[in-house]
Amino acid sequence: MTKTPTFQLEDVSFSYDSTDAREGVRGISIAGAAGKVILLMGESGSGKTTITKMLNGLIPHYDEGELSGRAIVCGLDVSTTPLYEISQKVGSVFQNPRSQFFTTDTTSELAFSCENQGIEPDEIRRRISHVADQLGINSLLGRNIFSLSGGEKQRIACASASTINPQLYVLDEPSSNLDMEGICHLKNAISLWKAEGKTVVVAEHRIFYIRDLVDHAVLMREGRIVQEISGDHLREMSNEDLRSMGLRCGTLKAKARHSRFQPKALHSDETFTVEIARRSKNDTDPRALTIENVKLPRHGITALVGRNGAGKSTFSLSLSGLSRHNRARVAIDGEIITGKGLSSLSYLVMQDVNHQLFAEDALEEVLLGMKNPEKEYAYNLLGGLGLKGFEDRHPMSLSGGQKQRIAIAAALAAKRRVLIYDEPTSGLDLRHMEEVASVMKRMQREGLAQIIVTHDLELIESCCTHVVEMDKGRLGAPYPLDDKGIKRVFDFFNSQNAIAQEQRK
Amino acid sequence: MSAQGTPTAQRSTILDPRTKLLVLASISTVLLTGGYDGALLVVRPILSLLPFVLLLMERKFVLAIGYASLVAFATALQYVITAYMPSFGLVTILLLLMCGFALRLAPGIATGYYMVTTTTVNELVAGLERMHIPQTIVIPLAVMFRFVPTLLEEASAIGRAVRMRGTGNNRGLSFLEYRLVPLMMCSIRIGEELSASALTRGLGAPCKRTSISTIGFHLADGVVGAICIGCLAIFALQGFGGAL
Repeated sequence: MTKTPTFQLEDVSFSYDSTDAREGVRGISIAGAAGKVILLMGESGSGKTTITKMLNGLIPHYDEGELSGRAIVCGLDVSTTPLYEISQKVGSVFQNPRSQFFTTDTTSELAFSCENQGIEPDEIRRRISHVADQLGINSLLGRNIFSLSGGEKQRIACASASTINPQLYVLDEPSSNLDMEGICHLKNAISLWKAEGKTVVVAEHRIFYIRDLVDHAVLMREGRIVQEISGDHLREMSNEDLRSMGLRCGTLKAKARHSRFQPKALHSDETFTVEIARRSKNDTDPRALTIENVKLPRHGITALVGRNGAGKSTFSLSLSGLSRHNRARVAIDGEIITGKGLSSLSYLVMQDVNHQLFAEDALEEVLLGMKNPEKEYAYNLLGGLGLKGFEDRHPMSLSGGQKQRIAIAAALAAKRRVLIYDEPTSGLDLRHMEEVASVMKRMQREGLAQIIVTHDLELIESCCTHVVEMDKGRLGAPYPLDDKGIKRVFDFFNSQNAIAQEQRK
Repeated sequence: MSAQGTPTAQRSTILDPRTKLLVLASISTVLLTGGYDGALLVVRPILSLLPFVLLLMERKFVLAIGYASLVAFATALQYVITAYMPSFGLVTILLLLMCGFALRLAPGIATGYYMVTTTTVNELVAGLERMHIPQTIVIPLAVMFRFVPTLLEEASAIGRAVRMRGTGNNRGLSFLEYRLVPLMMCSIRIGEELSASALTRGLGAPCKRTSISTIGFHLADGVVGAICIGCLAIFALQGFGGAL
């Protein structure tokens, strides 16, 4: 017996309005049956997000453009059914945990979709209890959403998609901002939905966590489907196979390091020392840290790893002289630097790089930080980072990677010696991740000390020289990423999975 | 945090959101537009005391005491000046003006702060809907309410970026521009993502919205409400009395 699929796209094409620079999709045909997980893979801009939007109705009802072909979701024709009707059948989870909440406390958030549909309050309460038990989030109920970590917010987003009990779940790069623990919870939610007989569509760059659950994988390129792979076939593919398709790895497995890339253990003359003290002894804020004399590689690329809330962001802010709670003291190149001096020593490339671009064009952005603005030098810097020809573009009109490189160019222009990155590759595909890695290697040749706060093992593997682990506000000693080090950092990430399992009990 | 058994959106505060709106309305109307004569001499102190009591009830002690000291100081200064400094020099006039401003504005601002910090979006929406205010007004209001903390988060991140860039730059950074442009850009983007997410969750459906918020009137609402209505009534009568 053949069942009607939960959703069916038949030769669907969509092009965004001419004012919109985004690429559309052409000739898409996919279907998804109950209990199946469909994975959409492909580079950024290949059309994955567009497909998810056709399934939850944002296309054509929110993003304007021209839709042709037949798109049927849960028996509804997407192009003629109003969004609120589609929303009763389709649950959506988006990439950015900060911007998908409508209310300010978690319980109201779980109730929100149901309230919009006019479901009886008692029934809503029953559903919230049920979903909270299923997903193990009872401890998160009744909390202020602004006090949650990114991972916790994403768990709430999954749970609030669940309360309307949809037939189809659509997830658009849900793991982008998550650490290993968060990813483990996400995987758990998806496998639960699958077991309930729901259809799940996931657009993702990071395949490793979801590989076991996939029934059907679709590879997109330039708005078209170029390859369809069964789940079993996907599981047989090696990391190298996926790589040749432009995809990130399918299994997180340490591979032996290339011999020319074996970093050595540190000598004391190749380090700089960081010391962090709390500003006030009585400060009980969790962001108040004490870190005693940690020696970091002066010319290395050091990955700073740890769970959400371990103090990584606080460490970065303190080192850039931006923490209200801590005072840092850095001994570098025979100088001691404290207080205001820190802000001309180090530079933080923020996770949301939009926060730190102010000028009217890229060149101005670089000149801003220079004591004696030299146009020639600024041109060279931008050219060296692959931004030739973009000098007079407004920074906000550029892509995420280009913005990041402008911020890095500005740091170089200001002669900063320590560059700190806050999760520079969250939400990036293989190609863009490798671009970031190569920029970092270039900065290493410029003689900078780099510290990368990251959850991205592939990035660590492709460019870092050392790793520092952070746990509950304590910083370990850095270890070199030789064969032994690689194994250790993989173990460190795997141990976070165990923590996530524990939390759900 | 959450109640045992069935989850409800916790009633986060002692007063109903509608009572809070009434308090805000009466304090702003009477204190901002009212005069200083007749029965208003009694009404003014009562209404000025109200935000202090409300803040205390929510255990916001520091703010309550700060507010009370400001009002007490302004009142005392006003009294001292009028009683002992009869000659109206420029300084006295300026001081009197400042006291007047503080006494007229501070209660409204304190109540506004109390309202924003103690009401969840859900309660506000439920309250407004029970007052039969149409969705076209309720939804934008709720979005604004939700957006305030986000705006503050973004602004503080941008402030950090400015501080990181600012030092060593002596070419007259226009701080307003460098803060406002990125703030606007980020707000627009977050606003768009927020609306997309809300729409996929059925916001704006034509059916009647329900709510799990347990709002409703209790004894405290009765007392506070009676005070406000009483004050408003006296204010109105006095106004008519003056006109007649």
